[in-house]
Amino acid sequence: MNTETESKPDTLALTFAAWLCRLWLAVRALQTGIEKFAGTEKASADVMIDGAPNSYGMEVETVDKFYALSNYHGVPPSMAETFSKEPLIPGFFLPIYDKVLGPALLVLGLTILLGVASRTSLFLLGVLYVSLTWGLILIGGQQGNSGVAWLAAHMILIVWALYLAPYNKLCLLKKW
Amino acid sequence: MSMQPSPITRRRFIGSTTATGAGLALAAPGILKAATQAEGDLIHVAIVGYGKQGEVLFNCLKNIPGLYFQAVCDISDYNLQRGVGAAYSIQRNRSVPNQRPNRYTDIDEMLATEKGLDAAIIATPDFWHSPHTVKCLDAGLAVYCEKMMSNTIEGARDMVRAAERNDKLCQIGHQRRSNPRYLFTYEQLIKKHNLCGQIVNANAQWNRSLSASQPIGGEDISPKIIVPQDKLQKYGFENMDQFLNWRFYRDLSGGPISDLGAHQIDIFNWFLGTQPKAVYATGGHSYFKEREHFDNVMACFDYDTPQGEVRAFYQVLTTTSAGGGFWESFMGTEANIRTAEIAATSAIYRETPSDEKELEAMEKKWDDLVRRGYLRMKPAAPRPQAASAGAVEVYESAAPEEYDLPGGLPYIRDNKGQLVPKPAHQPHLENFFAALRGEAKLNCDARHAFESEAPIFYVNPSALQKERIEFTKEQLSV
Repeated sequence: MNTETESKPDTLALTFAAWLCRLWLAVRALQTGIEKFAGTEKASADVMIDGAPNSYGMEVETVDKFYALSNYHGVPPSMAETFSKEPLIPGFFLPIYDKVLGPALLVLGLTILLGVASRTSLFLLGVLYVSLTWGLILIGGQQGNSGVAWLAAHMILIVWALYLAPYNKLCLLKKW
Repeated sequence: MSMQPSPITRRRFIGSTTATGAGLALAAPGILKAATQAEGDLIHVAIVGYGKQGEVLFNCLKNIPGLYFQAVCDISDYNLQRGVGAAYSIQRNRSVPNQRPNRYTDIDEMLATEKGLDAAIIATPDFWHSPHTVKCLDAGLAVYCEKMMSNTIEGARDMVRAAERNDKLCQIGHQRRSNPRYLFTYEQLIKKHNLCGQIVNANAQWNRSLSASQPIGGEDISPKIIVPQDKLQKYGFENMDQFLNWRFYRDLSGGPISDLGAHQIDIFNWFLGTQPKAVYATGGHSYFKEREHFDNVMACFDYDTPQGEVRAFYQVLTTTSAGGGFWESFMGTEANIRTAEIAATSAIYRETPSDEKELEAMEKKWDDLVRRGYLRMKPAAPRPQAASAGAVEVYESAAPEEYDLPGGLPYIRDNKGQLVPKPAHQPHLENFFAALRGEAKLNCDARHAFESEAPIFYVNPSALQKERIEFTKEQLSV
């Protein structure tokens, strides 16, 4: 009896592990996708002295963050310029990739969070990260290399989440 | 009884400008923002001189509500066209008597023809400031005139007399006097909180690069800006070079010490609260040998202030931008305040007393000012490691802590919708028009400007004669 009990895997722990992986990857993808719609707006504010607006009219500049569809930027402008000079990236590809990246992160983040076709979603997220890795390899240098390492950590989590897929409970669509 | 001024119409203030000053706030930058003048209550403005500085002023004026640009006067057709065009561009959708201002070459003709003018903005060359200002004041207009008041001290005196004789407002364009950062520094940090301790020295400079000191025009002068020779001579210019580069000529201007130095020597006199008792200056044609004025001038002013003696050093160099361009520095026993029209150049440095109790008290005072919002602490810069520090340390003072003002000029939206700091001259013009409406007191009226500018007229003579000049009361008064 005892031997049988000990050889059974601790499914609760594995389920928790699957959920944590799922949650982390979903939040990472979702918020990254949302940030593609973030922008900043400069504003001004009175300098406060003794808790009240100063009487001299001195002001400070403030920068307020806000979200809007018009702010959308898939690939950051500074990186887009670098990529546009890369001979291995076809000219037509970059605008398409720029348009797809943000929505893809949002959709995959949502499907992973809700458990819709989890395995396929995880796989596609992995493919997306491979594409980002490729871009960072092209950029090279310290920024590119550290980005590649950073994405490699994401890939380990995706692979681990796929490995734990049998224990991933509470899913809307278990198929695929 | 309320101390707030009662609303005053444009026509009411015309006859009562002197009385409006007493008891009112020194600066009222928010007043004009809040006011929405009906078109019938507009201030009718004439712009006299639309060269570079006239354009700078207009770019501020166009942001001030309640103004109607009725006339533009300039001897240059090119400038007239630009000035009229600029005014028309902001008046074309307004219900004003004439959306396109009337244009004049001659100020006498303008003053004789135009009815209902309230104010003149004078940005002509220095040697015309006094005649133009006096004419406008005598015609019943309030005047905002660029600094330097005149190229001669007698011309400046005439301006004060004309303003007082006619009981009209006359503001001189020392725009730092209305800059919220300067007002705050003087009234709160220096006067109220005695941040500097005893101010023993002051130091200021305007170092302008060689490229920024080049003459305008030259052989490639565009035909469209050329003024006919007879017109030039009628208005005191021998040729186009004099018209474009009047700052280089002794009969037309006071040169760099007056053109650039006037702003900052004015700050010496304002912050120290008195006129200097003597000046010793030196200068030379070290690079621009063909120019009439010295291309670099260094002057030392001696002051007797209620706190004690102050020596103030000023330099204007037109061959280098070294040393951070332009700023004024007030060095006290407890702190050094460096003011500058460009906010990034300003800084406040706290001294570090060797006595621990003194240090503790000072730190407590300054921390309290930071907490209350009077100061902003800058992050400490890393101290360089000297290779042979031991030999130097004996003489070396501890590095002062660095602070900054808590804010700067208010912000406005430019025509592209971008948030930008208000132009530096705008608060001073706002103060002028607020005073016209009886809502503020002038921050730099002709008499105060004269008292501040008077010592500057003696810098070039001191440098030329290589002599220290001890001022008499008569020299520095109207």
